[in-house]
Amino acid sequence: MATVERPLQRPVSVPKVVAEPTGWLSWLSTVDHKRIGIIYLVSAFVFFVIGGIEALLMRLQLATPNGTVLSPDVYNQLMTMHGTTMVFLAVMPLNVGLGNYIVPLMIGARDMAFPRLNALSIWLFILGGLMLYSSFMLGGAPNAGWFAYAPLTEKGPTQSPTHGMDYWILGLTLTGVASIAGGINFIVTILNMRAPGMKLNRMPLFVWATLVTSFIIIFAFPSLTVAQVFLLFDRNFGTRFFLADQGGDPMLWLHLFWFFGHPEVYILILPVFGLISEVLPTFSRKPIFGYAFIAYSSVAIGFLGFLVWAHHMFGTGLGPIVDAFFSGASMLIAIPTGVKIFNWIGTLYGGSLQLKSAMYFALGFIAMFVIGGISGITLASPPVDLQQTDTYYVVAHFHYVLFGGSIFGLFAGAFYWFPKMTGRMLNERLGKIQFWILLVAFNVTFGPMHELGTQGMPRRIYTYQPGMGWDFWNMVETIASFGIAIAVAIFMWNVIVSLRSGQRATNDPWDAATLEWSTASPPPVYNFAKIPRVHSRRPLWDSKYPDMEVSHAQGTRPMKRKEVAALDTEDQDQALFDPSTIHLPSSTFGPLWVALAITIVFYGILYLTDTGYLSVIAIVAGLGVFAFGVTTWLRSADRDNAGAH
Amino acid sequence: MPSRRPFWRMLMMSGLFMAGALVLAACSADRPMSTLDTQGSHAQNILDLLVPIFWAAVAVFVVVEGILLYTIFRFRARKTEEIPAQFHGNTTIEILWTIAPALIVLVIAVLTFRTQAINSRIPDDAMRIVAVGQQWWFSFDYPEQGVTTANEMYVPVGRDVTIQLDGKDVIHNFWIPKLAGKTYMIPGNTNYLTFRANSEGIYRGQCAEFCGEAHALMKFRVVAVQPEVFDQWIAAHKTIPAPPSSAPYQAEAQSGPRIQYVPEMPVLPTTDFSGGNAENGLSVFNGNKGLCYTCHAIAGNEKAIGKAGPNLSYFGDRTTLAAGLLPNDAEHLYAWLYDPGTIKPGNLMAGVIMPGTLTDQEIKDLIAYLDGQKTNIPLPAER
Repeated sequence: MATVERPLQRPVSVPKVVAEPTGWLSWLSTVDHKRIGIIYLVSAFVFFVIGGIEALLMRLQLATPNGTVLSPDVYNQLMTMHGTTMVFLAVMPLNVGLGNYIVPLMIGARDMAFPRLNALSIWLFILGGLMLYSSFMLGGAPNAGWFAYAPLTEKGPTQSPTHGMDYWILGLTLTGVASIAGGINFIVTILNMRAPGMKLNRMPLFVWATLVTSFIIIFAFPSLTVAQVFLLFDRNFGTRFFLADQGGDPMLWLHLFWFFGHPEVYILILPVFGLISEVLPTFSRKPIFGYAFIAYSSVAIGFLGFLVWAHHMFGTGLGPIVDAFFSGASMLIAIPTGVKIFNWIGTLYGGSLQLKSAMYFALGFIAMFVIGGISGITLASPPVDLQQTDTYYVVAHFHYVLFGGSIFGLFAGAFYWFPKMTGRMLNERLGKIQFWILLVAFNVTFGPMHELGTQGMPRRIYTYQPGMGWDFWNMVETIASFGIAIAVAIFMWNVIVSLRSGQRATNDPWDAATLEWSTASPPPVYNFAKIPRVHSRRPLWDSKYPDMEVSHAQGTRPMKRKEVAALDTEDQDQALFDPSTIHLPSSTFGPLWVALAITIVFYGILYLTDTGYLSVIAIVAGLGVFAFGVTTWLRSADRDNAGAH
Repeated sequence: MPSRRPFWRMLMMSGLFMAGALVLAACSADRPMSTLDTQGSHAQNILDLLVPIFWAAVAVFVVVEGILLYTIFRFRARKTEEIPAQFHGNTTIEILWTIAPALIVLVIAVLTFRTQAINSRIPDDAMRIVAVGQQWWFSFDYPEQGVTTANEMYVPVGRDVTIQLDGKDVIHNFWIPKLAGKTYMIPGNTNYLTFRANSEGIYRGQCAEFCGEAHALMKFRVVAVQPEVFDQWIAAHKTIPAPPSSAPYQAEAQSGPRIQYVPEMPVLPTTDFSGGNAENGLSVFNGNKGLCYTCHAIAGNEKAIGKAGPNLSYFGDRTTLAAGLLPNDAEHLYAWLYDPGTIKPGNLMAGVIMPGTLTDQEIKDLIAYLDGQKTNIPLPAER
């Protein structure tokens, strides 16, 4: 190729007029971060409900000793899928979905940095989830736990003889690619596309949290993917990474998995920390207490999160010195986390607390997360951990963190941002009913698990004998778990009712401080007609209350007069501005084709050792679709670039 | 707007709930897996560490939730719509409340490291036992004494015992809640666990790491006896069991309430489990119908040297069968030999023995043979 025939930015057409695409096909081809965010949230919520149903089935089985609701194998499948679903297909994508919708709005951008890559992420995530769930119909779901400890997950008659684990590996690899692509997208978006004047230390704390989480994702996920590829090859292509009798080592899996697995906990909780740091100031009508500490402690947590993985392995005989190191690091990480809680209470202190549903859930989050944090201290102490690990105490602990923490926080986020996303308010009354039912049911479901674990009830057992002192609380928990289901059903009802006939939301229903509330509800496809200028950490608040006495902390100091003057001149240039000339990336099916292609290839790989040439045909066909998808994608990008000037 | 009162009450309740749960836990005669009713040194050291951490945790819980509730109550919005003072932080307070939790965790860390040092010590004079976890049972080997058994481990009271833990197929986790914390049994990685039983008793053990279909049913017992009884046990088990007698076997009458131990038990074709002949039982054991000998070993039976299943020497001494799952009586042993797959789904024996594989008389003969190997060493009480 001697000459480039077509320079990338040759003007070939008149820029298209920005128009909202219509019809259901437009959802499949969208590259709008807001629509992608909504697809994320809806599909993740569907997975959340499925994971919840799996949990209810397990609770039914455990309601009485010698339960016969489920066979052991089905129980083990549900147990594996519940954990996998909640971690990879529910809480994580709920965080990502909120981030997708809110982060560009918060930083005053018109879209993510890579809108088409963003579309690829959502389709890979959904197809990965569907691939994982297709295992139920294609020979049995994975049944060796979401932690998938090798060598139990190796192929063998009493290990994992079905294709379930292969589905687990390949389905999660798809969602893993989606997560890494999404992480890179967030990092580039946040670092490059902030509105003028929004320095790093003027970013909203939700954006800070998303930034840190994205870095964690791109450093942690490769470890999981590597482990999964090793396991895939062990199972199908004759390697022996984890087979001790053939020179491999199961410890390799444990380290690789938990090197991902512990940072994953922060991937699940840090965005919620950020979300809470937005909700609390808004409903306290005052700024966050100790912005810098909350922002930088997220960074500290993100970093320390990579140094504590072996506290999941205190029982594996790493030796007292290694255990002591990881124990110390785990306790160290409790300090920034604990101080965040003080900062949140400091935010409430002296405020004027508007007790709306979003605030209820945010306060519930703090109260429950404190319990989860405290119960974690004993698990960071290796000797005590040896009694509590692998018992229901641990189940209680991480449900207080991930349900009492993440899910309560996400409900707060749902009530907070629903008006912005839909233009209608969620019903406050239903919200508060849901909150109280959820709070009670949650505590009665998971509180007694501390006791059961202390009384020696191991995790992951499909049945237990009578006479162990476990009968009473198990029955109580099962009954209470249906209260959680009722609370979730009320939320779904609230969403449906409010979408149809909820109170119309203004642009800024909560009198908030951040930029997403400065545009319409729901925002136009281009987000902001005029890119806002940011002079402080609370740009909207400051424009609403310009005369207010504000004690500016460092970093929020007003801009120098010269800077403001320069910006004002630019603003005048934009005064004649017409929103229809805003150039946005056009929708394309390219990312969907690429995601479909990779999924087809993965199905081919999964059955390669069974079906031989049929699989090869699938892989080749998948690669064909891949080429087509990439071409579609690039043509669309090319067109957009051409129209950009 | 619902008042903040229910909120307050709810949080009080959840607090009381946890405290109450722990109080309940203190009396645990009927709680065979309790981690609070410690009878061994390892578990005791852990409990001694847990108690101060627990009170620190209670204090933190009360203080933090108390401040939170006070703040919510005190600063809830009044009718006057005034914007509160807009303060951003307070460096002194922030430094102070960073130091406070740091001091708490420092104390906990020091206590932790001390207990770690104590619990990881292996005394030179400790007795050594090799435990191997496999799907889904435990084998126990006494290399110094030359005794092998399965699913029931005898230890002398008052003497340090170091268990060498190995995994055969997948990862298992060795746990005797009342005596010692968990340690993994990982293929290719040997671990050690040292503890001393402080009082005699039969203790429950269970595999705590998910290890496949029958993970929930992989249990064992630890029988802690006085040192002289332990020596008797070793001496008896080093000898070869007496040859099977030809006297008809008399099953002991069932006493006490009938407890169901597993979700599903097979329906047995008979209710009378007596009448077996131990001599015939030996030939059934070594016969090609049941193939017992290919997987199980019995001292003195030269044909039975299999290692895939538990060693069955002196099986009559065991209190349980099927890896701590069922009490070792004629009825349960009959059920096991009749249909092990229903009792313990997925287990290896179910691949050979299905209902009808052995006739009624053959099962009874086997019961007579297995149960006949006894040493009659007195057993301590279950704890």
